[in-house]
Amino acid sequence: METITITLNGREVSGHPGMTVLELASESGVRIPTLCNDPHLAPFGACRICLVEDERSGALMASCVTPIAPGMVVNTESPRVLERRRAIVKLMLASHPDSCLVCDKGNRCELRRIAADASVGLVDLQRISQPALIKEVNPFLERDLSKCILCAKCIRADHELVVEGVIDYIERGFASKPATLNDTSLEESDCTFCGTCVAFCPTGALMEKDSPYRGTTTTAVATVCPSCGCGCGISLEVKDNKIVRCRPDMDSPVNGGTLCVRGSYGYDFVHSEDRLTQPLIKANGSLRETSWEEALDFAAAGLKRVAEAHGPGSLAVVGSPKCTNEENYLLQRLARCALGTNNIDNGSRLYSAASCQGLGWNLGSPGTTNTLENLEQSDVILVVGTDPASSAPLVGYAIKRAVRQRGARLIMADPRRTKLSTFAFLCLRPRVGTDVALLNGLARSIVEENLLDEEFVTRRTDNFEAFRRGLDQYIPAWVEQATGVPERELSSAARMFATAKRASIVFGRGLTQQSTGTDAVMALANLAMLTGNIGHGSGGVYALQDDCNGQGACDMGVVPAFLPGYQSVDDPQAVKRFAARWGPFSPSGPGLTAVEMIQQANAGKIKAMYIVGENPAATFPHLGLVRESLRSLDFLVVQDLFLTETARLATVVLPAASFAEKEGTFTSFEGRVQALRKAIDPLGSSLPDWQIVLHLAKRLGHPMPYTSLEAIMDEIEELVPFYHGAGYAGAAGKGFDRSELEASPHGAKRLHKGQFPTGFGRFSSVHYVPAKGTAGDGYPFSLITGTSLYRFGGGSRSSRATRLIRFLPEAAIEIGRGDASRLGIASGDRVRIISPTAEISAPVRITDTLSDAMLYMPSAFPQSPVNALFGVDLDPQSKTPAMEACRVRLERID
Amino acid sequence: MAARVEAIVAKFDGDKGQLVSILQDIQEEHRYLPREALEKASQLLNIPLSQIYSVATFFRAFSLEPRGRHLIKVCLGTACHVRGANRILERAALDLGIEAGQTTSDMAFTLETVNCVGCCALGPVVVVDDTTLGQMTTDKVVPMLERYRQ
Repeated sequence: METITITLNGREVSGHPGMTVLELASESGVRIPTLCNDPHLAPFGACRICLVEDERSGALMASCVTPIAPGMVVNTESPRVLERRRAIVKLMLASHPDSCLVCDKGNRCELRRIAADASVGLVDLQRISQPALIKEVNPFLERDLSKCILCAKCIRADHELVVEGVIDYIERGFASKPATLNDTSLEESDCTFCGTCVAFCPTGALMEKDSPYRGTTTTAVATVCPSCGCGCGISLEVKDNKIVRCRPDMDSPVNGGTLCVRGSYGYDFVHSEDRLTQPLIKANGSLRETSWEEALDFAAAGLKRVAEAHGPGSLAVVGSPKCTNEENYLLQRLARCALGTNNIDNGSRLYSAASCQGLGWNLGSPGTTNTLENLEQSDVILVVGTDPASSAPLVGYAIKRAVRQRGARLIMADPRRTKLSTFAFLCLRPRVGTDVALLNGLARSIVEENLLDEEFVTRRTDNFEAFRRGLDQYIPAWVEQATGVPERELSSAARMFATAKRASIVFGRGLTQQSTGTDAVMALANLAMLTGNIGHGSGGVYALQDDCNGQGACDMGVVPAFLPGYQSVDDPQAVKRFAARWGPFSPSGPGLTAVEMIQQANAGKIKAMYIVGENPAATFPHLGLVRESLRSLDFLVVQDLFLTETARLATVVLPAASFAEKEGTFTSFEGRVQALRKAIDPLGSSLPDWQIVLHLAKRLGHPMPYTSLEAIMDEIEELVPFYHGAGYAGAAGKGFDRSELEASPHGAKRLHKGQFPTGFGRFSSVHYVPAKGTAGDGYPFSLITGTSLYRFGGGSRSSRATRLIRFLPEAAIEIGRGDASRLGIASGDRVRIISPTAEISAPVRITDTLSDAMLYMPSAFPQSPVNALFGVDLDPQSKTPAMEACRVRLERID
Repeated sequence: MAARVEAIVAKFDGDKGQLVSILQDIQEEHRYLPREALEKASQLLNIPLSQIYSVATFFRAFSLEPRGRHLIKVCLGTACHVRGANRILERAALDLGIEAGQTTSDMAFTLETVNCVGCCALGPVVVVDDTTLGQMTTDKVVPMLERYRQ
């Protein structure tokens, strides 16, 4: 490539065209101070601190916005530069309070550091009066614009990275400041409190509110956020074994300096008073504290006793999409080898089993097929059954950037209008549960108009003919009748999707948590294959994950039908391979899935369970049945951070350590395997899950020979083909080499160059089946559920995150304006929500985002568990319980 | 209103770079920038409302509040100032019963100050709508207002 050589402080250095002087200087190890520049943001040239002198012309230029040119002779520290820089710093300080002593920013303040470097102390210039502290009622962040230096980093982070557009400069001259529309408080604006602006602010103008420690910590640990499946890098600042601040890890290749409100402010569940610090065992009906020795002996003896009395088939194990890959790997080995059962599953059954199943069958790879970076490069993005802005904010940011900065077209298919809809080119609003009809309708239009990628279909896929014949009934008029999406919009969407160079599909729980979820995922994979959008240089299929390691837990074989790496438990070769490492293990044939375990417990067939990091008694459908079933067990071991609804029913409760207290790896929804780093010591006598599992395995007569996490990951790498190279590069002592680890998201590897792991992609004919239960049976409303931005996972952690609860104490049920006035309900009224299965109560919020006869309520609020309303209705293929929509009626509570 | 904003934006080919011109045209129609029109423009131009607000608050020529049928701008630039522009302003304020920056309750007049209109030789200067009135004196103020009141 062409290079440009310039002389920098008397030394010749070379860069590529388009580079700025500042970039080249920092690459060459010359530090130029700056306040407004950041590698994650476009150059702006606001602060002028980075000025340098062009020695030939004598011009002083802001190096952050000056491109390098051949033959330039630049001096970064000439006397004129230093003098001018001092003058600029002085002017900044003239409008800055001298409150450094009490300023929370302390010595992390970049202005103070630059002033110190330039040897500027108190200034004798006339002071410029500054705006007062803004009284914010939100529990997250605080604005003191008297400390603002107008670098616009917050504004640019807002517009360029998270694309909310909540703040911008207002007014001009001395009065100018970053403010919201009409200069209101943040709560009155569209602010999502992601905390990204706080992370970018170089001074104390934007700060976390109510920090438990106001100084600068000596330790900051880079680890992975546990709040959803995106796998954002976070930096935990630690003081005296306490996490006092969480910021985006600026070096993470995943989130590029951004976070969301959960990531920035949701971490304090770690220090909740509710944390279990001692093992508990049940005696005379109540739980009492005990020692690890006694608890482990008791747990092992209890499980053994049940196994001996009723056979290993009477045992069941639930693993967790919140635990690490290593922990899940050990747990399934414990289930299969020590307990002798394939009755093992994990909580992601509730939302992502249909994607595993559907994508696994059609594409041969049970997860997202391409990287997030690739999603952002798409020309058309189809979002089905998810609101990424709440469920996976990082994906939401990427989509918004694609639309606003690259001109991508967004097609939203959601019965509800969400915030992201304002970015959409086309909003399809199919009726609840009609996604298969819609997706098949799109596929038919594409085939009819001959817009399919014929080369891709012929060379890389099979079963196309049968699939094409199956589409015959999905003529636009029929689809309009079934889904409510007008014919014209359907064919516009089909045309847009098919003619795009790169078209991607993003989907989530709204699609997978239906009784026809697997079919819908297959319909969606068909659409991607039909248009050649699988593999390198094309779009992709993106399956969002609710939990930090939903993908990993399944990859690690914490599923009833597969050993690690989706190697079938029925495949004798695979069993032999694993037996060679583990010793012989007995179970054969797939075991029970999570909800089936509960059903079988109720039927008296499952007698004992070992539940790790999962809370079925609060997050599964039909809570009455779940609680009754768990109560009826002879023996229940629960391992968790808190005394959850499930733990209260346990015979033994084992206190586990949180994500911040342990090491291991998480696999993000993109398939990126990332290392967790330990920020603090485990609280009380809690232990990391992997150590507990090892202790228990030993007592169950199956000691596992691992001395370290590295040893476990080495074995995973050996036995799970697509984790090759994902492990801890670098030997013991050197720790994890993150760069090595992150260079290889295995999702990309699985499908790169468009080669399907199974050789060919397979079209499957799937058909629309109208949803059960119709209006007019006494339950006139269709209630749909979703994720709240201010909760994560099942809610047991986030409902103990103090800032999130203060901001949003309880879930409201949303209702359309028309329905509300017909029922005589006002915003804030409490209503009983009654389904055929159960009833809960919640306050009402009136909204314009719902059509008639529709209600919306977020899940993960244990106080008003919307999942309780659902009966047990399993998708026949993935056994995911339908928890997306159910029929209810409302009664006002006076 | 939405259709008019659409037409204005279309006139500039939906170019974000023409935001100031688009706002000028909107203001031409309504004498101020109604929130509803800005929301429509934000949607059509695909830029956040906060950014439009930023531009609208930067330029004194734009108003986010409804303005009177006649806009009276009293120049307080240096030349006008030394020739007693403050007294002109006070006289107008007294007669209209409002302060600079306000609009009369019958929506007839909005009174504003500007810092120079570029014809200092004529000072003190008052600009009413598009008409520049030079060499103003306090006793010319009330008859001037009367002329516009009809």
